Amino acid sequence: MISQAIPEASIYQPRPAKLIRTEAIAEREKLFEFEFRDGGELGHKPGQFVEISLFGIGEMPNSISSSPTKNCSFELAVRNVGNVTSALHGLTEGSTVGIRGPFGNGFPIDKLKGNDILIVAGGIGLFPLRSLINYVLDKRSDFGRLMILSGSRTPQERMFVSELEKWQERRDMELLETVDRGDEKWTGNVGVVTTLFPKVDIDPQNTFAITVGPPVMYKFVVAECKKKAIADEQILLSLERRMKCGVGKCGHCQINGVYVCQEGPVFSYAEIRKLEEAI
Amino acid sequence: MENRIIEKQNMDVFVNNLINSDAEVVGAKRKDGKYAFGKLADATELCLDYDLALYPPKSYLLPPKETLIKFELGEELEAEPVVEAERVILFGVHPYDIKAIELLDVAFSGTNPDINYLSRRAKVTIIGIDCLNPNPNAFCASLGTATTDTGFDLMLTDIGASYVVAIGSSEGEELLGKYAVTREATQSELVQRDEQRQKALAKYKVALSMSAEDLPELLDKSWDSPVFKEKSEKCLSCGSCVMVCPTCFCFDVQDDIALNLKQGERYRQWDGCMLVDFALVAGGENFRRDSETRFRHRMYRKGKYLWERYGKLGCVGCGRCASACLAEIASPAETFNTLKEERRQHD
Amino acid sequence: MKPRLGFFDFTGCEGCQLEVINFEIELVELLELVDIVNFREAMTEKGEDYEIAFIDGAITTESDISRIKEIREQAKIVVAMGACASLGGVNCLKNFRPMEENLKIVYGDCAGYYNTIPARPVSAVVPVEYELPGCPMNRYEFLKLAKALLLGKKFELPNYPVCVECKMVGNVCVFDKGGFCLGPVTRAGCSAICVTTGRHCWGCRGLVDDPNVNSEKEILQKHGLTVDDILNQFRIFNGYLEVSK
Repeated sequence: MISQAIPEASIYQPRPAKLIRTEAIAEREKLFEFEFRDGGELGHKPGQFVEISLFGIGEMPNSISSSPTKNCSFELAVRNVGNVTSALHGLTEGSTVGIRGPFGNGFPIDKLKGNDILIVAGGIGLFPLRSLINYVLDKRSDFGRLMILSGSRTPQERMFVSELEKWQERRDMELLETVDRGDEKWTGNVGVVTTLFPKVDIDPQNTFAITVGPPVMYKFVVAECKKKAIADEQILLSLERRMKCGVGKCGHCQINGVYVCQEGPVFSYAEIRKLEEAI
Repeated sequence: MENRIIEKQNMDVFVNNLINSDAEVVGAKRKDGKYAFGKLADATELCLDYDLALYPPKSYLLPPKETLIKFELGEELEAEPVVEAERVILFGVHPYDIKAIELLDVAFSGTNPDINYLSRRAKVTIIGIDCLNPNPNAFCASLGTATTDTGFDLMLTDIGASYVVAIGSSEGEELLGKYAVTREATQSELVQRDEQRQKALAKYKVALSMSAEDLPELLDKSWDSPVFKEKSEKCLSCGSCVMVCPTCFCFDVQDDIALNLKQGERYRQWDGCMLVDFALVAGGENFRRDSETRFRHRMYRKGKYLWERYGKLGCVGCGRCASACLAEIASPAETFNTLKEERRQHD
Repeated sequence: MKPRLGFFDFTGCEGCQLEVINFEIELVELLELVDIVNFREAMTEKGEDYEIAFIDGAITTESDISRIKEIREQAKIVVAMGACASLGGVNCLKNFRPMEENLKIVYGDCAGYYNTIPARPVSAVVPVEYELPGCPMNRYEFLKLAKALLLGKKFELPNYPVCVECKMVGNVCVFDKGGFCLGPVTRAGCSAICVTTGRHCWGCRGLVDDPNVNSEKEILQKHGLTVDDILNQFRIFNGYLEVSK
């Protein structure tokens, strides 16, 4: 005896998608462009993620790197660290994978509109942020200033180098880069990403800081944002957790009572300030 | 709610009629000096006066391992969802286990309804029975889960010579009409039922030192309590507490493939937040690396997180975790009471 | 070209190789995907061009050491099969006695003709890519590894104790039946087969990555075992480990 109706479809069933293009990003990172076999769209927002399946190997969550303004296809940037990622890196164009999603809340585009945007990327944190950056660039007049602070461990580990170079040349945005450790060719800033903060002037009232990077980075970035008097509500972070099912059931991504795959992965610092274990 | 009477001598007939119907009938049976739910071949196997079944009836709704998708690799990927559900009558489920199923119902429905769970659930009939001999580790009386008015098709109460049967659904009524010899319950028999329930409430040996509603607030203030470290030092991270829990529903998903490397299945399997690698991500970060944080997470999930999410406590007080825990640290009541005492001294 | 497999026995009962032979149907299917070039227990031909070496048995003599090193030179992947190869296993029971005494007990007056060294797992001598612990190894786990290697997938052993699987199959806890058990610290992957068939866990799959041995020892003591009893229990399969010393 239960009143709940049985759904028609399984929330665990992926949609077949075809790999139409791959592009090397860095030594362990590759970009994959997909198109659904059924011709449909992903219909995502910047900051959301999908679950990607390679049947026989497994399924894993991955952020979406393309902007929804790019029609029909979508892109995932993937670092080769596990079973699924390694099998994915071995795929040739034309192969089929399974996709579930998009999942999660994504960046609050409506709130961001009309405001200045300060993006702080650490390493492959640039992967989900690229979706937002390209979205803002495609709808440039909807937003105020666009500033990007991007940090990499070494010059070899810079992601999307050709895009960084294009962004560098644009007049309608500002990009500052740094590396933790330089080499003989590197002439830019050396130091962690927070060392770039003194180099930007912002209007804290109208600025949203949006940061994605390794878990250790967040506390320091938040501290810099607060130094610049950005309100906690306007500091946004995307948190990495083990989002196994993506639909708020399996429990792996829980931070306290929060299911990151449902309420997140994007949170304002105001929301997670009191959430123990979050950052 | 309508109430009927089944005389004790007629109970076996009812059970055997159900066994001979198209459904699988599951009830508490003896197992190595304990009780465990299992398929009944005959009414004589069924124990209705058990204290606690080792495992909750959860596995009939969320099996330990369950296929979600079958696939075949080839030129075109073929992947089909797998939904398996058989008619099951759970006979003699205690109220706390019914309350736990009510929580699972909420967790697996809502915005992302789970077809596998809900398909099984739709085919499960619940015939409850009041627990008159509580387990020494149980504390249902403190959580309001010792009795229930909802969540069952039929609810039995042993009043000596007969069982009072409360009818909770039309399906329950139909089963009763078709398979059981019943008569109307008298007023005095209903009074006897209340007395039996009252007597049972007095038998609980473990109690919370606060009301259940106060738990989320207590936990709000207890994050830094030393009790989590103290207790978790003995924790084996063996997962026994979560594996026997009627309200735990976390799972892992894996693929398995045949030796021809073509056909395979994706399955889910019980997992638990007390296991070391539960919050480990591919990059190597483990967000609850030490047993203290895992121990605390479980307690908070039981007493706060699920309450805030689903409006139902994540613990029904059955006492299974306390019974299963070799290190003797798993009882939520014990931890909650310690926290309450700490607060009392603090305030 | 199909991957070439070799099976090699060291000191042990060869039961793990028997597990492979016992497959019958699956073995035929497996042979579609791989070539077995060396398998003394099952065939007479001896090829030396193997890429994956499956090792059965522990290292217990000087000549074992040189032989395993040669195999390591040839093989791209070395897999330790079973408790003996993965953990040292029951062979390590002799490590708690002087080697001369062991020789005397086994060979009596002929002891002088033999040599023996403290037993050790394969990984104590050469690097090992994968281990399939258990006495015998779980042959379905062997298949899982074989499939993972063929798919290029990383193979991982479960990192939780036997209790998890014991609960999943619905057993009554051995301690509740008045016995004792190493399940709470032993690596799962066996579906708790020993408990299911009425015995207790002897620890043949080795310990989980981060076992709470102190708590387990306390529990065993509470259930009537002396410190010596406990050490003896751990020594049956895990004598090579610090916990048994």
